[in-house]
Amino acid sequence: MEISKQFDAPIETKLRSRVTSGFIVAVLLTVFMGFSSWRSVQLTADHADWVAHTYSVMDVLQLTVRHAIEVENSARTFAWTGQDALLTRYETARGSIAQDERELRHLTADNPSQQRRLDALEPQLRAVLQSASKIVAKSRQMRAGPGADEALEIEKLTDSVRTTIQEMHAEEMLLLSQRTQRTKTGRRWTTFIVVTGVFVGAGLLVLAGLGVNREIDVGARARAHIRTLNAELEQRVVQRTAALQSEITVRNQAQAALQETQEGFRVLVDGVKEYAIYMLDPEGRVISWNAGAARIKGYRSEEILGQDFSRFYTPEDVEAGEPARELRESLSKGRFEDEGWRVRKDGSAFWANVVITPMYDDRGNHRGFSKIARDISERKRAEEVLAGQAEELAHSRQALEAQSLMLQSVLDSMAEGLAAADEQGKFLIWNRAAENIMGYGPTDLATQEWSKHYGTYLPDGITPFPTEQLPLVRAIHGEVTSSEIFVRNPKITGGAWIEVRGSPLRDKEGVNRGGVVAFRDITQRKADEREIQKLNDELEHRVVERTAQLETANKELEAFSYSVSHDLRAPLRHIGGFSKLLMEEFGTSLNPVAQRHLERIQAGTQKMGLLIDELLNLARVGRQALNLQPTGLNSIVAEVIAILQPESEGRQVEWDISELPAVECDPILIKQVFQNLLSNALKFTRPCIGADGSARVGMPAAASHAVIEVSHREENGQPVFMVRDNGVGFSMKYVDKLFGVFQRLHSTDEFEGTGIGLVTVQRIVHKHGGRVWAEGEPDKGATFYFTLGVGKQAESKSNQAKAGGQS
Amino acid sequence: MNVGKLDILLVEDNQDDMDLALHALKQGKLANNIVVVRDGEEALDFLFCRGAFAQRSFEHPPKLVLLDLKLPKVDGMEVLKQVKSDPRTKTIPIVIMTSSKEERDLVAGYNLGANSYIQKPVDFDQFRETVKSIGLYWLVINQPVPVRVMKEVPKAELISR
Repeated sequence: MEISKQFDAPIETKLRSRVTSGFIVAVLLTVFMGFSSWRSVQLTADHADWVAHTYSVMDVLQLTVRHAIEVENSARTFAWTGQDALLTRYETARGSIAQDERELRHLTADNPSQQRRLDALEPQLRAVLQSASKIVAKSRQMRAGPGADEALEIEKLTDSVRTTIQEMHAEEMLLLSQRTQRTKTGRRWTTFIVVTGVFVGAGLLVLAGLGVNREIDVGARARAHIRTLNAELEQRVVQRTAALQSEITVRNQAQAALQETQEGFRVLVDGVKEYAIYMLDPEGRVISWNAGAARIKGYRSEEILGQDFSRFYTPEDVEAGEPARELRESLSKGRFEDEGWRVRKDGSAFWANVVITPMYDDRGNHRGFSKIARDISERKRAEEVLAGQAEELAHSRQALEAQSLMLQSVLDSMAEGLAAADEQGKFLIWNRAAENIMGYGPTDLATQEWSKHYGTYLPDGITPFPTEQLPLVRAIHGEVTSSEIFVRNPKITGGAWIEVRGSPLRDKEGVNRGGVVAFRDITQRKADEREIQKLNDELEHRVVERTAQLETANKELEAFSYSVSHDLRAPLRHIGGFSKLLMEEFGTSLNPVAQRHLERIQAGTQKMGLLIDELLNLARVGRQALNLQPTGLNSIVAEVIAILQPESEGRQVEWDISELPAVECDPILIKQVFQNLLSNALKFTRPCIGADGSARVGMPAAASHAVIEVSHREENGQPVFMVRDNGVGFSMKYVDKLFGVFQRLHSTDEFEGTGIGLVTVQRIVHKHGGRVWAEGEPDKGATFYFTLGVGKQAESKSNQAKAGGQS
Repeated sequence: MNVGKLDILLVEDNQDDMDLALHALKQGKLANNIVVVRDGEEALDFLFCRGAFAQRSFEHPPKLVLLDLKLPKVDGMEVLKQVKSDPRTKTIPIVIMTSSKEERDLVAGYNLGANSYIQKPVDFDQFRETVKSIGLYWLVINQPVPVRVMKEVPKAELISR
C-alpha cells in the first residue's frame, strides 16, 4: 500500500493540476469568446441602427425639401391660378414642414453640427413659409398673380433651404458611409472571433483528448504494475509462510537435537582428556569431574566431588587467598584466565592454563563456576626453548649482518664492477666499482630498458646493445658469457669500453636463481691495443718496404754474381790458358825459374776459379727458395761419400755412418751441407804436410787412420746431426771464427780451402730454421752439430719467407 | 774457304777465347773447316745464308755450331732461338759454350733446343779436353741428318722465310 501511494501521488497531483489548469483556460477562453461575440453582435446591431437612423434622417430631409418646394410651388401656382385645391396642398405642405422640423430636431438631437444647421434651416423655412403666406395672402387680397419680386424672393429662399438641406444631407451621407464601414468592420471582427473561437475550441478539444488518452495509458501501466506487485507480494507471502513452516520444523528438530547434544556434550566433556573440565558450586566445591581432570590432577571423581577447589593451589597461593580472589574476579568480569603453578594429588606441581567462568541459570541466578584447566608445562618448556632459539637467531642474525657488511665493504673495495640480479631482473648486488664504471646505480627498470638506461652499445659504438644479449640477461637465462661492450650515457659522456663476464647464479640444487656479471673498464687497454695495432701496421708497412728494398738489393746481387760468374771467369781462363800454352810450347826454352813462375800463375788461376765457384754457390744458397721434401739422409751421405772418393784415394779412411732419420728438407742444399762437412773432415784428417814438404812432427797417430763419424741424437724432440772426425781439430778460442766468411784457422799451406764452406753450411742450416755449432780440441778432432727446424716448423718458416718475398 | 766442307761454325766475340778454342781444336785435329763469326747478327746471317753470306746454301749447313752466349748485337740465346725455330736450320747441332754456369741459362738454353751446354772450364787442360771431346762426338761419332731430307723442305717455305 505504501508503495502504491508513493507511486500514485506524484502522478495524480500532476494530472489533477494539469486538468484544473486546462479547465480554467478553457472556461476563460469560452467566456472571453462569448463576451467578444456578444459584444461584436451588439456593436453590429448598434451600427445597423445608426445606419437606419441616418437613412430616416435623410428621408426626412428629402421630405422637408420636397415640402418646402411643395409650399413654394403650391403658393406660386395658387397665386397664378387661384385654385383652392392648391391651397389645401399648400396648407398640408406647411403642416408637414412643421412636423418635419420637429422630426429633424428629434432625429439629429445627437449631432450638434446638424442641430446648428437645423437652427439655420428653421428661419430659412419660416422665411419661405412667410414669403409663401405673403404671396397667398396677396393673391387672395388682390386676386392677382404674384409679382416678379415676390416670385424671385421665394425662389431664392427655397434655394437657400435646399442648400442647407443639401449640406445636411451631405453630412448624413458622410455619416452613413462611416457607419456602414463600422458595421462592416464589426461584422468581420465577429466572423474572425467566431472562426478563431471554433479553431481554438477544436484545438483545446484535441489537446484535451490527447492528454486524457495519455493519462489513460499511464493509469493502465500503473494498474499493471500494481497487479505485478500484488502478485509478487502474494508470492512472498506464500514463500514466507513456507519458510516459517520449515523454520518451525527446524526449530523442532533443533530442540530435539539440542536435547541430544546436551547429552552428547556431557559425554564429550566427560571424555575429554587434554583438559580438566569441572564445575564448582558458588562456594567453590567441586560438583562435576571429567576424565581430563582425573588425568591431570590425579583425583578420581568420587574422592574429589564435594571438596573445596583450593586444594589444587600451592600452599603459598592458598595463603594469599588466591582461589577466592579468582572466583571473585571471574564473577565481576564474567571470566578469569591465568597461567600458574597448580598442584596434583601426589603433590607435584605443573604449569597450568586456567579459565574460570561463572554459570547462571535461565532466571539469572548464580549457580556456580565452570573451570577449564590445561597442563601446559610442555608448552611452557617449548616456549623457553623457543626463546633460547630466538636469542640464538638474533645472535646469528647479528653475525650475518656483520658478515654482509663485510661483504659489502669487500664488494665496494673491488676494482672490478660486480652486479647480480635475481631471475626477475631485480638487482641484488651493485658494488661501488660497478657504479663508477657504468655511471649509474642499480635500476628498478625492466630488463628490456637496461640497454637504453645504461647506454650500452655494440663494439661499433653506435648500434644499441640488444637487451636480450646483455651478459647479465644471458646469465639470468643460464648462459656463461664474455663480451666487450661500449658504454656511453649522460654520466659517461666520453664513453668507455668494458669487458664483461657473466655467469648464472645457481642454488644448492643447481636451479637458476639469477645471474652475476663482473666487469672492468678496458678503455685504456683498448687504446693501448689500438696503439699497438697502429705500431704493428707501421711495422708491417716498414717490413714490406724493407722487403722491397732487400729484393731490389737481391736482384742487384744476382746481377752482380752473374757478372762475376761470366766476366771474372773469362780473363781467368785466358790467363790460365795462355800461360799453359806458353809452358807447353816454349817450356823447353825457358829456364827453370820462369817455368816455376808459370806454374804459380797456373795454381793462382785455379784457386781463383775455385773461389769464384764457391762464392757463387754461397750467393745462390742465399737467394734460392727452399724446396722442402721428406728426404732420407743416409742416401744423401752415401752420394756425398761417393763424390769425395777421389779425395780419399790412397788413404785409409773409416766411415762410421749410423742410421739417420728421414727429415723434411731441401735435398740439394742438405747434400751441400754434408759435402762441405765431410769434405772438411776428410781434409783435416789428412796427414799434415809442412811447408817444406815433410810430415809435421807431433801429428796424432790417428791422423794416418782417419775416422769420420756421421750420427744423430734426439734433443728436445729434435734430431741433432753430427759429423765427427779425429783430425787436427781446433782450439775453442777460435770457435767464433769458424763460420765467418774467408775465416780460416789453418794456413793454406797446411790445408787448402777458401774459407767459404762452413759459411755456406751455416747459411743453409739457418735457412732451414736450424742451428749449427762446433766443438773441437787441437789434435783431438772436431765435431760439427746441426739441427734442421724439421717438419712443420721448417715448413712454416719457409712459408713465411715465401710470403714475405711475395708481398 | 771450302764452303762445301764446312765442319764447325764458332761464334765467339772474345779474341782470347777464340784463340784458345781454335788452339784446342787444332790440337784435336778438328780445325780444318772452321768458320769464325764475331757477333750474333753475323752468325744469323751465316746460318740463314743472307747478307755477307748470301751466296751460301742451306744445303751445306755446318756440322756443329759452338755458340757463346754473351755476344754483341744479338745475344746467343736469340741466335739459338731463331735457328731452332726455323725448319731449315733447326737440325743444325748447336753446343753452347759459355763462362756462365747459371742455372737459368742452362734451362733456357735447353728449352730453346740447344744440343749441349758446356761451361768453359778455367783450367786449360780441361778446356782442351772438353773441346776435343765435343768435336769428336759431333763431327765423327754423331750421324747428321741426311741432306736429302733438307732438300725435301718445300721451296715456297724457304722463300717465304
